[in-house]
Amino acid sequence: MGKRTPLYEKHLQLGGRIVDFAGWDLPVQYTSAIEEHMAVRTNAGLFDISHMGEFSVKGKDSQQYLESLVPTSFSKLEDGKGMYSCLCNAKGGIIDDLFIFRITEDDFYLVVNAGTREKDFKWLKSRLEGDVVLEDLSDVTAKIDIQGPSSKAILQNVFSGVNLDKLERFHFTYSKFNGSRIMISNTGYTGEAGYELFINPETAGALWDILLEKGKPFNLIPCGLASRDSLRLEACYSLYGHELNENVNPVEAGLSWIVNSDKNYTASDILRKVKAEGPGRRIVCLEIKEKGIPREGYRVMYEGADIGHVTSGGYSPVLKKGIAFALVKTGIVKTGSDVDIVIRDKNVGASVVKRPFYSFNG
Amino acid sequence: MDANKGREVKEGFRYTDKHEWIKPDGKGNALCGISDFAQNSLGDIVYVELSASPGSTISAGDVIAVVESAKAASDVYSPVSGKVLELNSAIEDAPETVNKSPYDDGWFIKLELSDTAELEKLMTPAQYTDFLAAGG
Repeated sequence: MGKRTPLYEKHLQLGGRIVDFAGWDLPVQYTSAIEEHMAVRTNAGLFDISHMGEFSVKGKDSQQYLESLVPTSFSKLEDGKGMYSCLCNAKGGIIDDLFIFRITEDDFYLVVNAGTREKDFKWLKSRLEGDVVLEDLSDVTAKIDIQGPSSKAILQNVFSGVNLDKLERFHFTYSKFNGSRIMISNTGYTGEAGYELFINPETAGALWDILLEKGKPFNLIPCGLASRDSLRLEACYSLYGHELNENVNPVEAGLSWIVNSDKNYTASDILRKVKAEGPGRRIVCLEIKEKGIPREGYRVMYEGADIGHVTSGGYSPVLKKGIAFALVKTGIVKTGSDVDIVIRDKNVGASVVKRPFYSFNG
Repeated sequence: MDANKGREVKEGFRYTDKHEWIKPDGKGNALCGISDFAQNSLGDIVYVELSASPGSTISAGDVIAVVESAKAASDVYSPVSGKVLELNSAIEDAPETVNKSPYDDGWFIKLELSDTAELEKLMTPAQYTDFLAAGG
């Protein structure tokens, strides 16, 4: 038995099919992965993301400390705003990707992956310097994501005291729910407008229920991990353990845009060099031309030569075809190039396409 | 929730422990497919590739198709030996048929049985129902 979120019983009641994910028992789907995917694209979907980790970083040296660890500039980060970044090891490989929310100049909130939570915390702890207090809040934090074009209207019904029109993308605010403090951020991992809600585990069940109830007229449905994965793949968001790992740096992963700090940080010399000179391999987007579903690990061929492998693949319910992220040698293919993906010993034609497969809709 | 969802077992069929079915017509031929349990476990089927070729002779346990669901690719095995008479190419064009109608429109291949005695080695509907109840 894996770890269970405070919403585990709700998932069972809703007919969720439970699987192991990073040591957690979570629903992979409730009714149909494709239906859930399309519900988020057209209406709204509700996700239990309580497995993810949350850390608090407090103290007057907090920003300086975080800036020494991530390749992303803090110049655009302000109170009440978050940004995407990553933690890198000494070689520039990615320890984890994360969201950094700035509450105030000496109070930050980090959201990290479930599977890397312990590793991240150890790394952050080993790097502590100055007046900084690091705390793991994961066990006292539940997280519910509401995503899709109708998510704002539904959430506004539940939180009438918050003006969501004023909550811009990547910004967050606080409110109360059943007497408990809740953090609402205008963020997500689906390619749709949506919100991520952070609340204590005791109150999560009541919040889940009221969102489903108020969402009913908007066709909100609960969504599992399978649709979360296909949604993020269409939107071209990287997933740790797939596109990202300790042997891939952010430039190779197609995340050069988060390598923009002019401070000194872990592996800054390496990352600046690889950004200036270009990486030897890079994540590209592939679209299958006819039939077949690319899966992780499948080889990618160009004119008979092996140029790399699929890091994430699957079926796109919007494009109605197989799509993939692949890590390939640079300087060989560009957007529009024809490649083959080896699916069960057969070469299946695919094209290198511009990222993303699905543009952010919000 | 419907407690019987993904657990329908039909009479007149025989079943394998890998959740394929075979439906003999009593004249030496049979249709093969995957069970309701199999289609439900796979989830949304998005692609079917029938790999058996018409006219070829196959053995029990040979791969006759690959089914891709939203989650993973799975092989489908022939429950018995025989000569491949026909492929249901309709499921290649509309793979969701396998989800909607696993025992009828969603059949995979038609076989001429090499040895009808092979059928006796497969599970009866009652045995398959027990097999599912025991956790599949």
